[in-house]
Amino acid sequence: MSPDAPAIAINHLIRRFGHTDAVDGLSLRVEPGRCYGFFGRNGAGKTTTIKCLLNLLRPTGGSVEVFGMNPAKHEVKVKTRLSYVPDQVGFYPWMTVRDTLEYARSFRSHWNEETQRSLVDRFRMDLTQKTSHLSKGQRTQLALVAAIAPEPDLLVLDEPTSGLDPIVRREFIQTVIGAYQEGAPGKRTVFVSTHLISEFEGLIDEFTIIDAGKAVLTMEADAARQRFQKVYARFASEPTEFALDGARSVRRRGRELEFVVTGGSDDLMSRLAAASPETIETEALSLEEIFVTTLTPKGAVA
Amino acid sequence: MVIALNFKSGKPVYLQVVDQVKAAVASGAARAGDPLPSIRPLAEELRINRNTIAKAYTELENQGVIETSAGRGSVIADQHNSPLRKDARVKLLTEDVDEAVIQAHHLQVDKDEFLRLAADRFESFARRRARTAPALKD
Repeated sequence: MSPDAPAIAINHLIRRFGHTDAVDGLSLRVEPGRCYGFFGRNGAGKTTTIKCLLNLLRPTGGSVEVFGMNPAKHEVKVKTRLSYVPDQVGFYPWMTVRDTLEYARSFRSHWNEETQRSLVDRFRMDLTQKTSHLSKGQRTQLALVAAIAPEPDLLVLDEPTSGLDPIVRREFIQTVIGAYQEGAPGKRTVFVSTHLISEFEGLIDEFTIIDAGKAVLTMEADAARQRFQKVYARFASEPTEFALDGARSVRRRGRELEFVVTGGSDDLMSRLAAASPETIETEALSLEEIFVTTLTPKGAVA
Repeated sequence: MVIALNFKSGKPVYLQVVDQVKAAVASGAARAGDPLPSIRPLAEELRINRNTIAKAYTELENQGVIETSAGRGSVIADQHNSPLRKDARVKLLTEDVDEAVIQAHHLQVDKDEFLRLAADRFESFARRRARTAPALKD
């Protein structure tokens, strides 16, 4: 419960369903104030992990801590400091938008009226509408207002933008950046699980890629974009074979050669330069391309 | 001042913001006293983390490119008042020149061509500043 405890600390988390290990020894750490991406394919173990944070599931092994507290022991204290937006939001169908916000508010010790009002305006929400009549996008917007108005220290988003149209998605992300981060930017922590990675490219400080319940890559976003580079070279004539050790996703088309390097590639780049190509161009991979490259078997062509 | 980000450049996002503000000052697109966009609208517009912009502005302030005062927000600083000493400024620039020299070597651009190019670029920025300067000034 120390004030500088990480927002989230997951240590060797295991969660088994029958004989299946949905989460299999996952560790990660999210410092307060960061925006942390949690990327994985469907079934990689993202939602199971998040449910352990919220005490909706008990870990089979290992531990999870939110602000230094075990969610199973301090459920109320943990839940007053975080908000959660799942991909499928359930509301009571007989309640109006206003009722739903008031109901959500009744569980909270703190609620920013002004934030609620400005978001309701921004999303052009009708407070008198029954939640059963809301579209998928409107339901997500309502869940977001209810999540942000209490000004929690941690916002947990589980596939928040899947199934939304591009305009609603854009508004969603702008709201997270603007309305949520504005109040106390050093303290507002975002933990977002998604496979629509490009949407969140600019928001992510650091990320973990999870596959089959294990962390396969944890990096700062800027460092990852510096390390994962696509290299394109064109030669005057078809090049003689040279060793492409360490290169991924290699493609050859006559005089042209393209491959991906994933760091520590100085030797490879000097071998390439020694073959005197006409041009060498490099560009950083996006986080989404890094995700695909990381989860593509080494020999395969992405 | 228009800031456009390119995630494909591999350059850290906050540094892209820093470099673009500095380029705007060098080319005359932004002048001393001009306000910088507030953090929140700029972050929303670019859809990047608010903390990234804050980090860029802090860096610009440390380098003496902008000044921030309570109430007035951030403005472009008077460039003759860099808080860094001349030798510190030259040292910062040396690192960038070294990178360009290395790049020139790999692209088979020799010293004479490189110096000619540098002179051309100085001219080009001077012309852009002259074009954007107010007509009645000087």
